[in-house]
Order: sequence, then C-alpha cells, then structure tokens
Amino acid sequence: MTGKPYRLAEGGSRIDRAKRVTFSFDGRDIQGFAGDTVASAVLASGQKVFGRSYKYHRPRGVMGLGSEEMNALVGVGADAKREPNLRANQVEIYQGMVSESQNRWPSLTFDIGGINNKLSRFFPGGFYYKTFMWPKAFWKHVYEPVIRKAAGLGKAATGRDPDNYEHMHIHADVLVAGGGLAGILAAEAAAKAGAKVVLMDENPVLGGIADLTAGMINGACVADWLAPKIAELKAMPNVHVLVRTTVVGHYHHNFLMAAERVADHDPSLLAAGAPRHRLWKIRASHVIMATGALERPIAFANNDRPNVMLASAVRALVGRYGVSPGTNGVVFTNNDDAYLTAFALKKAGVNVQVVDSRARPDGELVARAQEEGIAVSLSSVISAVEGTLAVKAVKIAAYRKGQGRVITEKRVECDFIASSGGWNPVLHIWAHNAGKIKFDDGLQSFRPDTHNAAMTAVGAANGTMSVEATIAEAQAAGEAAAKSVLKKAKAVKAEKLEVKEPRRAALESLWFAPATGAYNEGNKHFIDFQNDVTAADLELAQREGYESVEHTKRYTTYGMATDQGKTSNINGLGVLSEATGKTIPQIGTTTFRPPYTPYSFGAIAGSLTRELFLPVRRTAVYQWHIDKGATWEPVGQWRRAYTYSGAGETKHQSITREILAVRNKVGLLDASTLGKIEIKGPDAAEFLDRMYTNTFSTLKVGKCRYGLMANELGFLTDDGVTVRLAEDHFLMHTTSGGADRIAAWLEEWLQTEWTHYKVFVTPVTEQWSQFGLAGPKARDVLAKLAPDFDVSNEAFPHMSFKVGKLGGFPVRVFRISFSGEQSYEIATPAGYGLSLWKAFLEAGAEFGIEPYGTEALHVLRAEKGYIVIGDETDGTTTAEDVGMGGMVSKKKADFIGKRSMEQAELKRAGRKQLVGLLTEDPNEVLPDGAYAVAEVKDKPPMKMIGQVTSTYMSPTLGRSIAMALIENGRARMGETISFPLEGGKVVRAKITDTVFYDKDGGRINA
Amino acid sequence: MLEPQFEPALAGRAEPANTYITLREISTRGMIDLRGHTSDRKFMAAAKEVLGVDLPKAPRTSHGFGDVKVLWLSPDQWLVICARDKAPELAAALSKALAGIHSLAVDVSDMRAILRLEGEGAREVMMKSTSLDFSDEDFAPGYVRRVRFAEIAALFNIVEDNVIDVYVFRSYAHYAMDFLTKAARKGSEVGLFKKG
Amino acid sequence: MLLVTCPVCNATGDETDFHFGGQAHVARPATANPEGITDEQQRDYLFARINPKGLHFERVRCDRGCGKWFHAARDTMTMEFKAFYGITELPPDDVIAQAKGGWAEYFAMRKKKQK
Repeated sequence: MTGKPYRLAEGGSRIDRAKRVTFSFDGRDIQGFAGDTVASAVLASGQKVFGRSYKYHRPRGVMGLGSEEMNALVGVGADAKREPNLRANQVEIYQGMVSESQNRWPSLTFDIGGINNKLSRFFPGGFYYKTFMWPKAFWKHVYEPVIRKAAGLGKAATGRDPDNYEHMHIHADVLVAGGGLAGILAAEAAAKAGAKVVLMDENPVLGGIADLTAGMINGACVADWLAPKIAELKAMPNVHVLVRTTVVGHYHHNFLMAAERVADHDPSLLAAGAPRHRLWKIRASHVIMATGALERPIAFANNDRPNVMLASAVRALVGRYGVSPGTNGVVFTNNDDAYLTAFALKKAGVNVQVVDSRARPDGELVARAQEEGIAVSLSSVISAVEGTLAVKAVKIAAYRKGQGRVITEKRVECDFIASSGGWNPVLHIWAHNAGKIKFDDGLQSFRPDTHNAAMTAVGAANGTMSVEATIAEAQAAGEAAAKSVLKKAKAVKAEKLEVKEPRRAALESLWFAPATGAYNEGNKHFIDFQNDVTAADLELAQREGYESVEHTKRYTTYGMATDQGKTSNINGLGVLSEATGKTIPQIGTTTFRPPYTPYSFGAIAGSLTRELFLPVRRTAVYQWHIDKGATWEPVGQWRRAYTYSGAGETKHQSITREILAVRNKVGLLDASTLGKIEIKGPDAAEFLDRMYTNTFSTLKVGKCRYGLMANELGFLTDDGVTVRLAEDHFLMHTTSGGADRIAAWLEEWLQTEWTHYKVFVTPVTEQWSQFGLAGPKARDVLAKLAPDFDVSNEAFPHMSFKVGKLGGFPVRVFRISFSGEQSYEIATPAGYGLSLWKAFLEAGAEFGIEPYGTEALHVLRAEKGYIVIGDETDGTTTAEDVGMGGMVSKKKADFIGKRSMEQAELKRAGRKQLVGLLTEDPNEVLPDGAYAVAEVKDKPPMKMIGQVTSTYMSPTLGRSIAMALIENGRARMGETISFPLEGGKVVRAKITDTVFYDKDGGRINA
Repeated sequence: MLEPQFEPALAGRAEPANTYITLREISTRGMIDLRGHTSDRKFMAAAKEVLGVDLPKAPRTSHGFGDVKVLWLSPDQWLVICARDKAPELAAALSKALAGIHSLAVDVSDMRAILRLEGEGAREVMMKSTSLDFSDEDFAPGYVRRVRFAEIAALFNIVEDNVIDVYVFRSYAHYAMDFLTKAARKGSEVGLFKKG
Repeated sequence: MLLVTCPVCNATGDETDFHFGGQAHVARPATANPEGITDEQQRDYLFARINPKGLHFERVRCDRGCGKWFHAARDTMTMEFKAFYGITELPPDDVIAQAKGGWAEYFAMRKKKQK
C-alpha cells in the first residue's frame, strides 16, 4: 500500500519526511516517518482496524488523541520484551519495531469471536453475574478458560524482562502536572518567582494541544507563541522538565508518582545503559494540575466503527502527522470546538461536512464554516453508521434537544467521522486523594472543587477553556504557588499580551443520539468502548435496580480497566441521568483511582530485581562457605550454611558426618548471625530483670546466664545467653532472627515506659564474627591457639566468660553450649573473622575438626531437648508450656509478661505442653508439623491433641527423635499417641521427656 | 599458626566499572559508637578532652579535627571516626575518661562498611537510593543522617560537595554495592536540575 | 506516603523512615503497681483501643533516623498531622481541645488527675 490518499501531500508538525522508518504491525512491514506513532503510520498505510473489542469482538480502530484511547491497544516488542495494551496513538515508532494488534483470532478482519456480537442479546449488562453461575465446577474448568481466551487484552511477555528499570525521588517546591499552555505558563511564573519547579508531561513534546487550539497571542498562533517559552523554561536552572512522563497518582501529603518511558521510543538508549522506564516518587510542596481535558465521544448508533474518531484526534492526525483518516469526512458535534477539525480537514484538501445537534449556535466558528463553504447541518444528529470494518456512510437525522426517535433522515456517504461531545477536564489526580469535584453546567462535566492538599488546577483541567483566561489563571497560580512555598518569592513582571480568540456558542448536552430503526435494534450506542458497555446496558442496570452509580459500574463494568472513566464517565452519567430523571450531580460519580494510565510492572519493581530483589546478609565467612560446597539456610536475610556436602556425599550423609564430628571430636559453626547487644548503665541489671522472665541482677561478673523473653501477652518471643561484662555492663545474645527486633524492643521500653532508667543499649551484632567450637576436643583446639587466659575446666567452667587474645586475635570467649557438648563461642572483630575461622580449622585438623551447618546444629540441640523460639513456640506458647516454668521468676514484682501469665487461660490445665517423642519404628521420622489425634478414625474429623515441633533422625542415638506440643503432655509420659499422615498411614510414638541424650549433662561440663 | 588478617567487607571484589560516579569501599576507618547525654556537661567535657573535638549537638551535623571526626546520630549517640588502628586505644581512652559518667563507648570499627560515592552525580545516585532531597541547601558538606537506603538502613555523611560516604552494616555491603552499581550505571544519568 | 517530622531531631521524611507503634497514651498498669491488677484492667491495657474517625493520637519512632519515640496527632480522615510531641508529653492544648469521643474523655481524665 502506498499510503495514498491517507498520507497528505504536506503538513505534519511532528514528522520528519526526510527520515523514513520501517516497522512491523501484525507481521506486515509499515513505512512511516520519524515522529510518527503506530496509529498515524498504520492509518497512513490505509489500515483502519486495530483490534477487536473485549466482549463482542467488534472491529475497532483509533479513537482518541492521547491517553484516552481505548480501542487501538497494541503490543510492542517480542517475547520477553513484549509489552501489551499500549495505546497506538502514543507509541512512537522506530526502525525495526515489532508491534501487533490484540484480542483477535485468527485475524483482525475475520474474527471468530465476532459471533459474540451476533449473540449480543445474550450478553447484556451484568452478563457475568447472570450466566456462568451453574454448575459451580464449570466456572473453573469451562467458563473461565473459554472467556479468558476469547476476551481480554494483550498477551503478557514471555520470559524474564531483560531490561533495566529504576526509581528516582525528587522534591519540588512546585510540581506542574501537564505541559500544555496552562502548565508551561504556571511553571514559568513559579520558576521566575524563584521556586524549584518540576514539570512533567506524558507526551514526547510539550505544548499540549496548543497546536490544535484557535486563537492568536500577540499576533502569533498559540503554539508559535508558546515555543520560545518552552525553550526558555527548559533552560532555567531551577526547572526540571520531563516528557514521556505521566503523573499516574496523587497520594497523601502531596506525594505523587510518575512513570517515565525513558527508552521506549529509542532502543539505542537501552543499549547505552538507560533504564527502559523510570518511576518517579515526587514530594511537592505545591501541585499545579494542568492536565488539560479529554474530548468525549457522542453516544450514537454504532459509534464504535473503525474510523469513528474524536474530532481532536482527527485534527491532530492532520496537523501533526499529515495523515487523514479518509477522503470524505463528517464532523458530528454539539459544540464549537469540532469546527476547528472541519477547518483543518478542508485546508488539507479533505472533503468534509458538519452535523451539529444544536439548533442555533451563534459562535464565530460556526459562522466561519459557512463562510468557508463547509456544509453544516444544524439540528441534526448521526442516526446510523454503515459499514463494519470501515465507515461507508452515515444517516443524518433531524433532531431536537431531548428527542429520542428518528423522524426524518438522509443518507450521506463518507469514510470517517470526527465526533465531539464536549470536553471533560482531566481531574483524575485531583480526585485520587479525596479532592472534591463539582458539576459545571457550561461544560456539562465535572471540574475541580476543593482539595485538602496544596493543589491548584489551571486551564482546561480546571474547566477554563478560553486561551485568555487560561493564561491569566495559570500565571496567577504559578506565582501564588511559589509565594505559598517560598519564604521570599521574587515578584514576577506581568507580560503585556493581546489575545484574540473566537467567541464561542454554548455547548448543548447530547447523551444519546436517536437511531434509525426501532429502539436499540441492531444499534449499539457505546458508552464504555473498552468494556463494551452500551447505553442500553446502563439503562438495563437501572431497571434492574442498580440505583447507585458505584453499583452500576461494578455490575456493567463501565468505567473500569484502563479507561478509568476517561471517555465513559460523563456519557454514562448522562445516560443514567436521562434514564432516572435525576441530574448528574444527583447521581454523583464513580471513584477515580490511580493509576491515571497503566504503567509497567518493571517500573514498579524498579531496580529491586534479581540479586537486589531481597537484601542478602553475608557473614565474614560467606565466600568460604560457598567454596566448601555449603547449601544455604535463609535465616531472616542472612544466609547460613545448612550443611557442607563433599563430593559424592548426600545432604543426609554430610549432616550425619557433621553431627558425629561434634559428638566424637570437635565441630566449628559460623554463629556470627546471633544478635549481640551491649547494655550499660547503673540501672542495667534492674532493666534486664524487667525484660527477661528470669533474674539477671544476681548474675556474677564474668558469668553467663540463659534468659527467656516474653511479650506483654505472656508468650515467649526470644531467648539467648547474656553475659555480665561488669557490674553495670551486660552483653546480650538474641536469636539471629530477633537481633533487630529485640534491640528495638529494649529501646522502646527504655524510651516509653521506664524513662528514669539510666541505661544505654547499643546493638553490636555486626561488629563480631562468632564461632561455635563444640565437642570433646573443643578445649584442645582452643588451647592450641595460644590463649592468653587459662582454658582449664576449673578456670573456665561452663557458663563463664573470658576476654583476651588467641594468638594475635582479640577475642571474647563464652563457654556456652547449644549442643550439649563441651563448647565455646569465640567472637572476634568481623574483619578478622575469616582468618580466625581458618586458624581454628588449621589448629583443629589434628583433632578431626569439621565445620558444621545449621541442620547439624538443630539435630544436636534437639537431642538435648533445647528449644528453638519459632519451632517449639508459635507466638501463643508460654514458658510453662515448654517446661521452662522454672525460669519464670516468682520473686520479681514485675517483668514483661508477668501479669498476663497469671491470666486463667495461660494457667489452665490441658494446655499443650512440650514433650519428647520416640516413634515405635526407630527408623520412622515423623513429618514436621504432624498432628496427633485423640483417636484415629477412618476419615476426619478427628480430635487433634497437638503437633510435632521438631523432628530428626538422630545419628547419635541411631534412631528418630521428635518434640511435640501435646495437650496435657507432661502428665502423659509413657503414653503412646497416634499421628495419622496423608494417605492413611498412622505413625505411633511414645511420649518421653525432651532430653534424649546425656541426661545428666556430664559432657557439657567436661 | 595463622595471624589475624583484616578483611574489608568487600575484600576481593573488583571496583565497579561502567558507572557515572566512582564507587569504592573505604576500609581504613575505625569507628566508635559513643553514648551519653548531650545535657550531661561532665560527659560532653570528658569526651571532648579525649577526642579533641566537641561532640556536635545539632542534629545531622558532624565535627572534625585532624584524624578524628564525630558524626551526630541522636541526642545521646555519636559515631566517632578515626584511623582504624587507633580505634581500640581511643575507645579504651574514652571508657577510662568516662568512668563514673553514664555513658557507653564501644569500638564498632568492623560493624559497618563505608562506601564512598564520588563524582558529579553522587547526589543524584543518592536520590535513586533514598527518599531525601539531596538538592536541598541543607545537604552541605558535613551533613549526616541515618535513612532508609534502598531496602536497608544506612547512615551517610556528605564529605565534600560531590563526595558522599554511605555507612551500611557490614553484612549488607555487597547488597549496597550491587544497588549503587546499578543505580549509577552509565547511561542512566538523570541530570537533575543540571543545565548546559 | 505520609510526611512525618520527628520532634526530637526535627528531621522530616517519608513514613517509610519511621515506625508506627499503635495508639498513644496507653498506660501500663504493672509499672505503677504490679499488685492487684484485675483481669479487666489487664485486658483493657492489652486490647482496648480508641479507634476514632478523625483526630487520633499515635506513637511513632524515628526508626531510620535518631531512633527516638514520639507522639503524633493525626486526623484519620484527612491524614493531616495536627502535632508531633514528645513521648512523655501530652498534646498541645489546642489539639486536645479538638479531641472527640474516647480521646476527649481520656484527656479530661488526665486533667482531673493532674489537679
């Protein structure tokens, strides 16, 4: 196709006819010019159909000027780089771009789903709720898959997105959303007054629709007058201008988000390192909303046919891209503005006539049309559109305001329609965060009213449609915004302007154009094109009792999806108004929600993907663990070595080897992740007595004590060993996962409750690498590293502490054990961690030292019946429940959780208690979390009496062991209980105490 | 017998290339976490005596003299920066001088990694990383603040106009460097409020 | 994204730099007198909260900043902060004057106690 006659011989302010650009649309190569959009280039090639509608699969073409486009949605890019649902009129083409239409099968012109259109009387408003209700199982297996295939928007990308995305924060004195006439003048005024201004506009060039607007400023047309202002604004040091950037949402305290399409128009930027999209997080002292207005369609019969466009869209095609939708057009309007489209078409040599629903519009533009010899049919509407894949002809019917039926009509051949039902201010971001709006009779639309936030609307967004008033309003708003924000704003000198613009006649609302034939027969007056909601659907919803507009919206799906009411809102309200006899303000409006236009998941995720998806914390030995074949156990954000499987070794084998090394020789554990908190002050001991259930004020200097922590509900939240470094100085250990939480917990109580305590709390977790050295040979290894302190059992017994040096290493050594063996934990500054770790391995080689991971650690501690907070406790478990009631002080007057522990529920008989379990079959390992039941039955329900909390194969004992919380467990010692598993298998286990190994603790003190 | 060998958090990691600012780890600094009350004159005087510099009282400021720099963290907390090998003795000297005064001085030289951002885009990269306004005039050399940085906690100090030190907990050093490397990738410059 | 100012260090930042700590001015009975706390008193301390539409008082920590706890008076309808004040303090009088319902009763009770 040559493009003729659709590409006009001349014109096109946005295109560069010297630069040809080839791209593909549905596999077909299309030639366009640099600056074209997919819409303009494809239309220039003669193709009119861009997609099929959502429900009825009706062929659809380009409709709009910008972000209101609801029909011509395309997918751009292939495979992992495909992005669906982009508006063809906003997608800028580049050489080699791949694009495709959506929601059509097998092709745009023959679509099997179009059968839905023939069956449309079975698809009325609310059809989702009326059909597909029964039988229930059909929804999942039949209805939904079929509907999903037939309906819906574009295809998602396949595979991981290879491109980069990022977030950026920006703070502005004044954020101006929208870079049309109003936005530029407001930004200029605010910037000249000294404010730091950010201006964002979703289009590739600034100016809004100044180029589509009538009027002269100081003898120049609006766009020409504005051009030097744009250049000046961009050059100001206190102004940052972003194009291709849509302000998508307004949130509390003037926080806004904007999505910038950095590289979509030019993939070479990606190769150079640019992010594809950038999400801006904006904090503005003042927001100026200059988002303009969107033209609204008219609800006439079959107003959705390809080549039925908004008048502004046609005007832009001609003026910006040198493209005409056809050779013979009809402009259908209820206002003066659309006459500008007729003039543009005529000037471009396209045959055009105007159909105006008004009886006696007395504006200057109407008069000019007559002067220019453009045929104008007043008191007329379009009552029918002929053609399915393209417009072939229309019928023009005589009309009087409020008339519902066609009386006389004539047929006129044409190949496109430019319609205008007036303009709706774009007040989405005004309304996102509770801004009030009000109905304006002159506009027959809503406009901004009041707002709690520091926010001003200017220009068309404020319902101000004249050039002269817009200029005054925008400049005043910019200056006022700067004054409200700045301590000292500079005075802005007013420019002398002479503005001439045509006097306009009033718009006359037209919510429903009568159609040829019986009411609604074969005619569809689309209100929401994207969701295929017609005027009849809305009326039906009314008749069925959906009185609230919010209910109507959900029932019919009107105003949903990407449309968010842009084109459908007011027209729908108009239909409902006529159906109910209520005024539009009485009906109210639906809620505008962010985002204004969709933006990519990539932009939302920003750079936090792949290795940045979740922060990973590394100990000093991290790389060594990797090099030695460790698999990881994530603990919070830490990575801890789970086990070190050697060549040809299974995990089970390596875990067994590690456990036996600790029991028989010596093992080395990286325990650096344990929380460490220094606590110091004259009241430190008393403070710890408050925080722990047991007592620390009696602890001797140089000694360690295991502590239990509860919350105010009386439930266990953390545990660990605390050392008394000096009379007024303690070092607390917490669980790895609890380090930050417990440090904050201590601070909270000091700051908010016991503010008189003189205590400082300093978390030092990361200062230290800390290693567990456990096993009968632990002391030998320690001794070999030349300690400058006595490591003998007498001088350094279990639960004591030393500060000193191991060779050249500064260390803190705790004789504490989580394995039941003779055991030390050695801390050294993290920078020395790796070399100390290696020193232990070297020194321990002759004793058979082996590094062990967290799984071996867990088995070792379970063999000894030591609890793990979060395994043996679940947030509703008390110290008494886990058999540690002895650690709850009876003497202390108060500690966290004390009073709640006295509540009847926490003391009642029959609570679940921690017990040990030995399965009848010693080789059977109970599944973690398995439930015990009072009585095994053929099928549930069975009364559950508890659950397994830890379960392992113990290589030390050569049999399985487990711990469980069982109702009244401690009174059931020796009883055998049953655990029915999935698949009907029942495991039986005997209740024992929780200490399976070395019950007298001889090894720990050896 | 192996002797202690100091390993910085990013030991063995190549300095990032292809970034529009310079990013590197500074591992020669020692750090002391100092607690005490601004309102406690004895404490303030004793600390000054040892450090040779007043503890800053104004939020988000720092004082420096010679090798010692003190960063304000809170009305009762400071981070003393000194040469790494001087930290243990300085911490001990502080503890000694502060004996009997309610205070806590802890050598935390290994607790944090310091990542230095250097170059014209340093502030911009910080605005990709935090929600703060680095174009604000308050953000002058000497400025100190703790803040949410990407997904973690961090402390930063504006050293010179285009030099910013970011302190992160040691375990997060690789994450922070990964994040910064991506944020400062060449070609992703924003050029905020930059003309010409 | 709320904009919060810490009254201790005077830093202003996004709510993500802060940590919300639930309703303000909840007295812990055990601190005053650990003996003789009734079940009802303990229940109210743990669970009973004022949940107004409009002016509300909350605890906030300057979590990523100076680390100090403080109080905030916030209108739950408009999200406007009416005041930030110290963790051991009562709100400014002009804000107390705007309190309604459960909060008005609470502040009246506190005033009475002071007298």
